Amino acid sequence: MHLTDEQLNEYLDHETNEREQIELHLKTCHECSARFSDLQNLFLELDSLPDLQLTRDLSKRFNPSRELIRVPTRWFNLTVFAQATIALVALIIAIPFIAIYLQQIDTTMLVTSFAEVQTLWNTWLDALSTFEFESTAFELPTLPIVEMSSLLISLAGIFVVWIFGNGILLRNQIRR
Amino acid sequence: MNAPTDRDLILRAKRGESEAYGEIVTRHQTSVFNVCYRILHNRNDAEDLAQETFMRAYDKLETFDIEREFGAWIRRVAANVCFNFLESQKTSLALDEERDQDKSPSPSQQVEVKERSEQIRQALASLPSNYRLVVEMRHYQEMSYDEIAHELKIPLSDVKSHLFRARKILAEKLHAPNG
Ligand SMILES: [Zn+2]
Repeated sequence: MHLTDEQLNEYLDHETNEREQIELHLKTCHECSARFSDLQNLFLELDSLPDLQLTRDLSKRFNPSRELIRVPTRWFNLTVFAQATIALVALIIAIPFIAIYLQQIDTTMLVTSFAEVQTLWNTWLDALSTFEFESTAFELPTLPIVEMSSLLISLAGIFVVWIFGNGILLRNQIRR
Repeated sequence: MNAPTDRDLILRAKRGESEAYGEIVTRHQTSVFNVCYRILHNRNDAEDLAQETFMRAYDKLETFDIEREFGAWIRRVAANVCFNFLESQKTSLALDEERDQDKSPSPSQQVEVKERSEQIRQALASLPSNYRLVVEMRHYQEMSYDEIAHELKIPLSDVKSHLFRARKILAEKLHAPNG
């Protein structure tokens, strides 16, 4: 009796328990051994199939974009440098103002104004808890800021320069 | 300096270094693409699904057992991704057969002298998709009958019948006197 296709397939797939029996038959039967070598050839042909090449690189998606870690441009460096210089100049100019202001501060007056703020805060909390909003509750305490106007103006100027500089930085970031 | 092993790269990728995974993709992308191409016989779909395979594998890298061979694992994932793709494409058996028929070479094409590898690809393309998948798993991924049955969730007897019939068809196409 000849070997079945199933037996030959299973033999080549190493999925049979009857290896010796099959080998014995193949040695003596020309017909089965011809069928066997045909099947073996098919296996070899399938194995010989060469790999095709890709037309795109699939790893790109996993490599972090170089744009995120690129070297800062000249514009970026210039803006940072200009901002730092202006901030330094503003600080130097502000030193005399701050010195004058510090001398003028009346410590006892500061303490009383803090106490006033605290009282006001308590009043507001009371008003909130009882839902009784009296117009007097929103009066601001008097703070010792009379002599601060020049300092405030210079600080405001620095803020404007700072925000403007950051605006330039961000605009350049977005553009790239 | 020695190149890092797959194992090193995967450990780094698991810690969140996507460049390490990029290197892994570079190493295995050709073999993964070829799995997809042998199953789908369409370059565009094969490249898309190879990319998809690496994306999915990246998402479930946490579950990957570092002691296993990555190449074998990713090729198996690729076969699975292609299998699901074919299943979703298969609106009806009739449509599938029609499409497969379109891919088989016409008599005039058969007369042309082709490279042997191209003939093998054509023969593979002529198989029904479920036969193609079993051939891929047995011949190119060296999976056992049991593993294939488990992977495709089909009985062992179906694995054997698909595989043996597929080989019969391939042999007829490739060993025909003028084939
Ligand atoms: Zn015999």
